[in-house]
Amino acid sequence: MSTQYTHSSDRDRRPTVVLGILGTTLDVGKGSKRWMRWRPTVSLCQHDDFLVDRLDLLHSRRAASLANTIEEDIKSVSPETHVVRHILDMDDPWDFEEVYGALHDFATTYPFDPEREDYLVHITTGSHVTQICNFLLTEARYFPARLIQASPPRRAEDGAGRFSIIDLDLSRYDRLASRFERELTDAIASLKGGIKTCNLAFNSLIERIEHVAARTIDPILITGPTGAGKSHLTRRIYELRHHRRLVTGQFVEVNCATLRGDAAMSTLFGHKKGAFTGAINERPGLLRSADGGMLFLDEIGELGLDEQAMLLRAVEEKQFLPLGADTEVSSDFQIVAGTNRNLDDQVRNGAFRDDLLARINLWTFELPALRDRPEDIEPNIEYELERFARDRNQLVRFNKEARRKFIEFASSSSAIWPGNFRDLSAALTRMATLAPGGRITLDVVDEETSRLAHIWSDKFSKPDNLALARFLSPEQIEEIDLFDRVQLDAVLEICSQSKSMSEAGRKLFAASRTKRSSVNDSDRLRKYLARFGLNWAILSSHS
Amino acid sequence: MIKIDGSIGEGGGQVLRSALTLSMITGQPFRIENIRANRSKPGLMRQHLTSVNAARDVCAGDVLGASVGSDVIEFLPGSVSGGEYHFSIGTAGSTTLVLQTVLPALITASEPSVITIEGGTHNIYAPSVHFLGRAFLPLIERMGPTVVLELKKHGFYPAGGGRISVDVNPVDQLEPIDLLERGDVVEQYAVATVAGLSGEIAKRELAVIGEKLGWSEGNLHIELLDDEVGPGNILTVEIVCKHAHEVFTGFGERGVSAERVASRTAGDVRRYLAAGVPVWRHLADQLILPLAIAGGGSFRTGPLSQHTETNAAVIERFLDVKVHMAPADDRTVTVRVHS
Repeated sequence: MSTQYTHSSDRDRRPTVVLGILGTTLDVGKGSKRWMRWRPTVSLCQHDDFLVDRLDLLHSRRAASLANTIEEDIKSVSPETHVVRHILDMDDPWDFEEVYGALHDFATTYPFDPEREDYLVHITTGSHVTQICNFLLTEARYFPARLIQASPPRRAEDGAGRFSIIDLDLSRYDRLASRFERELTDAIASLKGGIKTCNLAFNSLIERIEHVAARTIDPILITGPTGAGKSHLTRRIYELRHHRRLVTGQFVEVNCATLRGDAAMSTLFGHKKGAFTGAINERPGLLRSADGGMLFLDEIGELGLDEQAMLLRAVEEKQFLPLGADTEVSSDFQIVAGTNRNLDDQVRNGAFRDDLLARINLWTFELPALRDRPEDIEPNIEYELERFARDRNQLVRFNKEARRKFIEFASSSSAIWPGNFRDLSAALTRMATLAPGGRITLDVVDEETSRLAHIWSDKFSKPDNLALARFLSPEQIEEIDLFDRVQLDAVLEICSQSKSMSEAGRKLFAASRTKRSSVNDSDRLRKYLARFGLNWAILSSHS
Repeated sequence: MIKIDGSIGEGGGQVLRSALTLSMITGQPFRIENIRANRSKPGLMRQHLTSVNAARDVCAGDVLGASVGSDVIEFLPGSVSGGEYHFSIGTAGSTTLVLQTVLPALITASEPSVITIEGGTHNIYAPSVHFLGRAFLPLIERMGPTVVLELKKHGFYPAGGGRISVDVNPVDQLEPIDLLERGDVVEQYAVATVAGLSGEIAKRELAVIGEKLGWSEGNLHIELLDDEVGPGNILTVEIVCKHAHEVFTGFGERGVSAERVASRTAGDVRRYLAAGVPVWRHLADQLILPLAIAGGGSFRTGPLSQHTETNAAVIERFLDVKVHMAPADDRTVTVRVHS
């Protein structure tokens, strides 16, 4: 009869399995004198308070006789330990590529069962390169293990020396965990721009963005209505990445709605001197300015198809051809795209390239409208007042009743906030400016709320009354900024009163036509209408 | 269930081992808490675990909490049966401590046993194989059973790899013995054993023994073992009297000179000789338990170690016996066990 080491009470304990490389320097030793040397692999099995149930010993064919000795010696000092030998041949244990490859192969074929066994990767032995590779493979979870490091006995000690177990999951260390917790809180606060938001959906969105922003260099797409804070948030993401030294280059931002024609190409991709009329100097372009940094393309849905094609290549190959240049230039940046349009619809209309959408649609975050975050109105009011105080050096406070009334109005269903935070900011700025003696009174609030109610109840908030409602669906109108809606409505009003596009053009551009040498008013109007998917044929068919 | 506080007395592994032995013999389960609470690495170490598992195997019992570092276990004994047993102890732990745990149960089992134990045979904080074989087991045999201990291979710290084999012919009931006189010294000698180290160490140790004890060359012997069992060094001094046989062991240690090892051992021998008692400290530790199982007996010894007192306290929890320790003078104590 012989003793069995697995028995009832040990059932709950996962056996300890050490994976280690035979140390062809540290583990050697001949004759009985070898026991007077500290040999890391043997020492791991000599601790009275630590039991290795299995040792997976990796060694080259050349080191077989040393492996025999080590196996025998472990049997002697630790009969409980089962030694399993694995041949791992490496020509040069200092060649990173070879060592990593060999260990990676081992890791991917080893039948890990972390539910049943507790793995420790021994990093004391092997070349420094081997140790580094073991570390990397453990950190990348190819080895689902903790690390174990042996150290020799101190001067006054005898025997096996010491060992320490290192868990690379840093969240397991209390002191480190609280430090990370603090960093995370800071990061999230920073992404919120210091506004203590309460909306659960928004807060979890921000946490997710923090998680992604810290890890990815892939494109990010931020959708949401105008004024929801896309640009603001992107800048915060950049600042966070920059703070963590994940990005070194600049933050470059452009609203694609402002890019038209040749200037669009040149603004984005740059041009050589003399590339076109007026190209007096060479221009690097925004993509090159963003090299090593972050490029924020707001309203990406407004980008022309030619620019989209160039951009796709720049994102995929990190190379592009500036206007008038013979050779491509390279720029490596993280792209963040913003849009308030439904890009899928635009792809269907042929206005947006599906391959570009696929490329930027990896991490998509949708920012909610202000009216969907009523609980965040109050913290944003606080933020706006602080900002006003900072900018104007003037402290402004609400009267208690005034504050209650404004929040009540702002959170009500009749407050549609079409321009979202931009509108809220403007309202606060107006009230703060009008506040007598730095107090926003009930009167000021009443004035502002009736102003807002008037604006929103005006025809612009009731699309049915608009001229543009005759040509566009309510959904399409919804996607147009109030800013553009006002203008477009007036333009369409003029068009409907005109017999031809030329006539409408003459009326609309009457002021500038007196100063310009070349006159092409109808072309200007045609391009303007095209931005909203309209043309003269559609207009005349409705009139 | 008997509850034992593992931190009592010297608070080491001895409390646990005594409790295991007594539990096997009496069939009473026990729970021990604060195992080795006073030690720098508290809780069960691997070597203790080997003893626990050995005890469980010998009596087909059950145990809860038996894992490295555990500070509490519950032991539920079955019935002891003799037979062939094989135990291995890691970290060059002491084979004799494992034997000490299971032997008292096997000498009163209904069948004979053959026990093989692998590990360390000469460990600094444990009785050496020579001590057990020549001093302790002859006394056990005087109580009835036959116990033959054979050292098959030396095992020193840190390499281990030693092996002992023990043949046991049990009896139903142990006979009490009384060891009050030792009689004249019949024979005395010292053996310095060296393996895988310079023979000079042995010569230097024996030179000190010769000088301190006034012994001539004829009493001093060198034993050189195969290099492969090394490295290791022990110094064994034996005093054979008409009614007693004592064995003293010095252990060579890293950082301790051969002279110091020998001088400490010689000091112990001289105190024994001067005290005029038959039993010395380590033998006293070992003897109380078999006497308690026998239900009586007595011996005279020198100052008691804390081990002995701890043992007595544990014994009185399991057996209906009293252990009386009566100092005769400042150098001798008479220990009497009675029911």
